Amino acid sequence: MGAVIRMLLLGAAGLMLTGLAGCATPPPADDPDAVADFNQTNDPLEPTNRTFYAINKGIDEVVLRPLAVAYKWAVPSYGRARIHNVLTNLNSPVILFNDMMQGHPRRSGDTLVRFVVNSTIGVAGIFDVAGDWGYPHHSADFGETLALWGVPPGPYLYLPILGPGDPRDSGGYIADIGLDPLTWVGFANSDSTLSDLQYARFGLTLLDVRSELLDTLDKATAQALDPYATVRSLYRQHRSAEIEAVRNDTRATPPDWVAAQAAH
Amino acid sequence: MTPMQTLNRRAFLAASLAGVMLFGFGVAARAQTPEQATAFIEKAGKDLIGVVNGSESPAAKQAAMQQIVDRDVDVDAVARFCLGRFWRTATPEQQQQYLTLFHQVLLKSITGRLGAYQGATFVVGRSLQKENTVSVATVITSPGSPPTNVEWVVSFGSGSPKIVDVVAEGTSMRLTQRSDYASYLAQNNNSVPALMEAMRQQLARPS
Repeated sequence: MGAVIRMLLLGAAGLMLTGLAGCATPPPADDPDAVADFNQTNDPLEPTNRTFYAINKGIDEVVLRPLAVAYKWAVPSYGRARIHNVLTNLNSPVILFNDMMQGHPRRSGDTLVRFVVNSTIGVAGIFDVAGDWGYPHHSADFGETLALWGVPPGPYLYLPILGPGDPRDSGGYIADIGLDPLTWVGFANSDSTLSDLQYARFGLTLLDVRSELLDTLDKATAQALDPYATVRSLYRQHRSAEIEAVRNDTRATPPDWVAAQAAH
Repeated sequence: MTPMQTLNRRAFLAASLAGVMLFGFGVAARAQTPEQATAFIEKAGKDLIGVVNGSESPAAKQAAMQQIVDRDVDVDAVARFCLGRFWRTATPEQQQQYLTLFHQVLLKSITGRLGAYQGATFVVGRSLQKENTVSVATVITSPGSPPTNVEWVVSFGSGSPKIVDVVAEGTSMRLTQRSDYASYLAQNNNSVPALMEAMRQQLARPS
């Protein structure tokens, strides 16, 4: 059910995009610097994006931010860290599939060990035991996989609820919903408990992410002359850096203790 | 000329200019090493954290911060970068006013974030030489938040080492600021005086 709602949200966003279709007017061709800037910014849907940014900001101020502040107040940081670990663990299958599709055996190994160890010894993901054992957490999504396969990001998109993105990353988000086994378990069973849990999972993820970003995002946009452009720049740079980090992850496939054992 | 041809011509001119400059300053540039940049960042970081964790009044801390920033950051270079192509379209008087305003805005944003760095520690990591700058990686740990990877880009262009950019978790401060200013200018008829008025309003706001 949660997945269906998400699909509907994305579908509605798509419809709104075609309906509003506010395209930015490119600068006159006799100003080559301005044209070069416009092409580099690659935001042809800027008026529509700005509208969604304003809408999102409204929803954020009225609903999401107060909830995140209340979440931080009601749940102590130890509890929030446990919830964060459980949510991260539930995402492991998606991360594992993406690691494998990206062709990174070491990263896949890390994810698999984390999933197995944290789900069992870590009591359903509450404790990050594998992290302490030297298997660090990393996230992976299908947008990242597409980027590593060479797909260019495309124009900037700002979607309601989901926030900044581009066609590649938004398409990746939908693909990840399909890749997540919990989506299909909910579908197949149409058990109201499972679908309620999926709702709770979606809501908790929103709260978890928003409460962690509370300070940094507020500060970054409060001092900006154009918060929309600042978010656009930050999102693109952060995404680029994430993808570069994955590309540069050239750790050897067997972990260090294998080499150490072989030396004996 | 098509935009691509103009870009290529400008790129060629920029590259040849850069080549001439490097040839001219080549000897000096080669003498600067990543180790010097690392030592510079270690010292600057210690000074900064010393001010943040010190027991002086906020006014004294602000004055000390201003000294460190003026000494260790090439604020004029950052300001010129953040204005981008509009630097050339501004009159010399506007350029001067803009530089002064940028100094003040930068200082205000740094001192506004000082509280978050109380009790912070930092560890200096590897340094990377890139063209004519050195990137020094550090990990900053503030109490109550996970460690953050911050890269400091040090330039030796003016003779002594100076910071020209801060890259926090992959996001460059001066690139972000330039996007912000460029977007604001695009919406305000490319008017540099309008940008300066907005900066004055920023300064007037209580931090």
